[in-house]
Amino acid sequence: MKKKMIAILQNIALLLYAFYAIFPLVWLLILSFKHDSDMFNTTFIFTPTLENYRALFSDGEYIGYFLDNIIVSFGAIALSIVVGVPAAYALARFDFKGRDGIAFTFLSFRFAPEILVVLPLFLLYQELGLYDTYVGLIWVFQVLSLPLLIWILRGYFEDIPVEVENAARLDGYSWWQVFIKIVMPLIRPGLVASALLSLIFVWNNFTFSLLLAGQDVTTTTVAMLQYVASDTVHYGQMAGAVLIASLPIIILALSIQKHLVRGLSMGSVKG
Amino acid sequence: MVADITLKSISKKFKNNTALANINLTVRDKEFFVIFGPAGAGKTTLLNVIAGLYLPEYGNLYLNGVYFNYVEPEDRNIAMVFEDYALYPHFTVFENIASPLKSPKYKESKAVIEKEVTRVARILKIDHLLERNISELSNGQRQRVGLGRALVRTPNVFLMDEPITHLDAKLRHQMRAELKEMQKNLDTTTIYVTHDYLEALSLGDEIAILNEGKIEQIGTPDDIYFYPHNEFVASSFGEPEINFFDALVTDDKQLSIFEEAKIQDIPDIVKNKLDTSARSIRVGIRPKDIKYSFVKENDYSVECSVYSFEPLGAKAVLTVEKNGNQIRLVVPSILQMDMDQHVYIELDINKAMFFGPEKINLFSKFLKDAKGEVIWQS
Amino acid sequence: MAKLILDNLHKTYYKNKEPIHAVSDLNIETNDGEFVALLGPSGCGKSTTLRMIAGLEGVTSGNIRIGDHKINDLHPKDRNIGLAFENYAMYPPLSVYENISFNMRAKNVPRQKIKKQVEKISDLLDIKDLLHMNPSALSGGQKQRVNIARALIRRPEVLLLDEPLSHLDGKVRHKMRTEIKHLHNEIKCTTIIVTHDQLEAMALADRIAIIKDGVLQQFGTPLEVFNHPVNEFVAGFIGEPPMNIFSVFTKFKDGNIYFTSKNEKLQFKVPDKYVEFVQEGKEYHFGIRPTDISVITDDHPDSIDTNVTVFENLGEESRIHIKIEEDNILSIVSEEIYPFDTGDHIKIKFDTDRIHIFDIETGGRIENTKVTAILS
Repeated sequence: MKKKMIAILQNIALLLYAFYAIFPLVWLLILSFKHDSDMFNTTFIFTPTLENYRALFSDGEYIGYFLDNIIVSFGAIALSIVVGVPAAYALARFDFKGRDGIAFTFLSFRFAPEILVVLPLFLLYQELGLYDTYVGLIWVFQVLSLPLLIWILRGYFEDIPVEVENAARLDGYSWWQVFIKIVMPLIRPGLVASALLSLIFVWNNFTFSLLLAGQDVTTTTVAMLQYVASDTVHYGQMAGAVLIASLPIIILALSIQKHLVRGLSMGSVKG
Repeated sequence: MVADITLKSISKKFKNNTALANINLTVRDKEFFVIFGPAGAGKTTLLNVIAGLYLPEYGNLYLNGVYFNYVEPEDRNIAMVFEDYALYPHFTVFENIASPLKSPKYKESKAVIEKEVTRVARILKIDHLLERNISELSNGQRQRVGLGRALVRTPNVFLMDEPITHLDAKLRHQMRAELKEMQKNLDTTTIYVTHDYLEALSLGDEIAILNEGKIEQIGTPDDIYFYPHNEFVASSFGEPEINFFDALVTDDKQLSIFEEAKIQDIPDIVKNKLDTSARSIRVGIRPKDIKYSFVKENDYSVECSVYSFEPLGAKAVLTVEKNGNQIRLVVPSILQMDMDQHVYIELDINKAMFFGPEKINLFSKFLKDAKGEVIWQS
Repeated sequence: MAKLILDNLHKTYYKNKEPIHAVSDLNIETNDGEFVALLGPSGCGKSTTLRMIAGLEGVTSGNIRIGDHKINDLHPKDRNIGLAFENYAMYPPLSVYENISFNMRAKNVPRQKIKKQVEKISDLLDIKDLLHMNPSALSGGQKQRVNIARALIRRPEVLLLDEPLSHLDGKVRHKMRTEIKHLHNEIKCTTIIVTHDQLEAMALADRIAIIKDGVLQQFGTPLEVFNHPVNEFVAGFIGEPPMNIFSVFTKFKDGNIYFTSKNEKLQFKVPDKYVEFVQEGKEYHFGIRPTDISVITDDHPDSIDTNVTVFENLGEESRIHIKIEEDNILSIVSEEIYPFDTGDHIKIKFDTDRIHIFDIETGGRIENTKVTAILS
């Protein structure tokens, strides 16, 4: 009897928290189906409309922003993986001078607030012709994703006993084959988790996208600003745009949720 | 396949720590060569140098007389069994054992792989586990998989790094016998690393004793046990440990170990080896070569008090104290001695070993020349 | 001085609502100043028992007494028990002196008295030179000495040692074993040691309690458990190298009853004293220690012809292994070093006074001869 009561109370508490956490999303969803005229109405009763979405997709501009976002985000993650996996391996396996210093430097990229570095970057980008280009954004975004990737993967590499690699060498695999056949599968959970986490950071980035690009290359986060017109704010369109922009991340996160939890909690290598 | 391995002046450093210092040895074809030493002696480093996983700072490696320092590990055709098994955690038992046969180096057909893996698994009694994951295996089974991965090939050399260390005492006894049986059929040069002197004596055709990166002695099990080169080797082989006594050599070449006991004749062959000026000598006597009695039997026996009595089954270790030194004996456990009881002991001087300056055995069969290279005397 | 009495001790855990009997009906009574070992494989309940005695774990039912005092419900610190932890559990920032005196200072014992006591105990354990050092600077053996000193400082009535040698290796381990044995004789304090290493238990203890799955199997002196194991488990657990145990079948042949191995490779007469206990055509487990088999050269009616499978020369002894069945090897240990090699033909003989016959179902020893009869 007592146990049942506790269980019920627990469920109520969880429901309350879920409501609290999801409410902004729900509100966003509702907004995206409202007319501008209903916008400031706090009741839940209104006539739903697809007008906002129609406006969003009518000129194809939004799809362009969305593609831009995909290009720079996935570009940055791909670059991070190509650079980060070998870097993490080196930091984990080789004992060279200044190893910990380098590892810390990577991490320190995440310390400074973005706004602090954006001005010098802006000037540099102007000079180098990187301003408002895909390469420029990818370049700056990998600074966000790389440290995370390196630090998570370094732990994974350290968890693989070096003897396992040695054993594979003696079994007749070259170093490169060992890396692909033995090492990579063992770090896969960590790779998936860290790549996804970095992707979320990069996808949602606003500061860099706003200040280092904006005309030729526009990400969805920056595009939101266009719904702020001089006379009014098109909250309905904005809500729709935000929802669509966050969909890929939500779908990705849900589909590899298991990997994510296990991947971040490490130690999956040990038999 | 002939496989002679020669190491010439091999040295290896890690940062400022010398792991191996001037190692010279030759492993002859089809020999079972044991590298014995305490933890941290450099045994595994030496094995890794032979495997090609470490490059020595100095010195040369030869396989059948061919210089092979710079041959990549995968091209050396060496199979190794690791102390911590080093199995591939994401593969099944079958895939682990099959790994060398599947590799680009030895690419075998599916049928051959299937046949060979099953054959090896049957020998190792793990044929019922082939589909299992590594995480589902006990330590003993993992160790067998590790052995299987090596045995499935026909390598130049087998390297085994403490393969049965992690098993409990009973399983070790059994596995040692199995290894020894297997060794007869292998007929392949094997280098085996261990810190267990029983394994070394039982399995080795030849034993190299390594300590702090240096070779203390190389010899057959009999050489090592009966003619240990120095006190370190003597104390490493045998349990309980050998006893050492500081003895005086009198002017007329007689021996006094205990003041109160009668001075003894030094055996003639020892006398001949002694320096004329030598006045002191270290005497080593194994615990089973000390006689005990409850009454004074002759002038050579001395009175001691019992320090501890530890029965270990049929036999017991009796530790007695004499002048603040502890002396270990092996006695039947039926004796049931009380502490502080008085016993008389007599050293069997004919079974003693004699160690001269620098703790070197006067009868060592092992010599080093001026360049640090080792020479065998048989 | 005190006796420690465990009276019908039970400990039951619940795991996923299933009861697990970690310790069942354990009865042990030590003598004054006795050294008792709790021995068994990991997970047998020996550590749980130790923790119950120390008061670190509650008792499900039964009593723990020291002398006449029941201590079940006392706080650990009021039990007058000293415990030396397996992993030393020292306070790293404190010096050895402070570590040893820690619980005396906690009880506000006068300084002078603490000093005197620490000096005495450090003399006994030979750690006088270490008192000012930090625990991190000590070697394994030294740490264990300090650990024991700390357990002894309160002059406990009962000293508990939890796997005191398991973290030491090789030579240090043997030295420490000798030291502990000697120390016990000096202080004559009732001592309980928990260990999974049967050699350690044999070497140290006056009596050994062998526990399996929470149930006491046998409680006796080292020689009793070695020479007269009550069942197959004890027989196999005690002794290194382990006892040879294999299946035999009884069979009549020319008026005599014989034991034969499954493949009939091994065949020998049932010793007279067992004839009345065995039935024909039944399976038994036959046990004999490797030291109780001899290699003989002359003919003997009871000798067995066989071939050497593996021969090991270990310097001080030799071991002969004979494959009697696919999965069963008979080992012989002899002090004589024979010039044998694989395949050599030899004759062996079992010491008929020292064979053990076990029931295949219960594992119990058949014809449990009186202990005294053989000891004499």
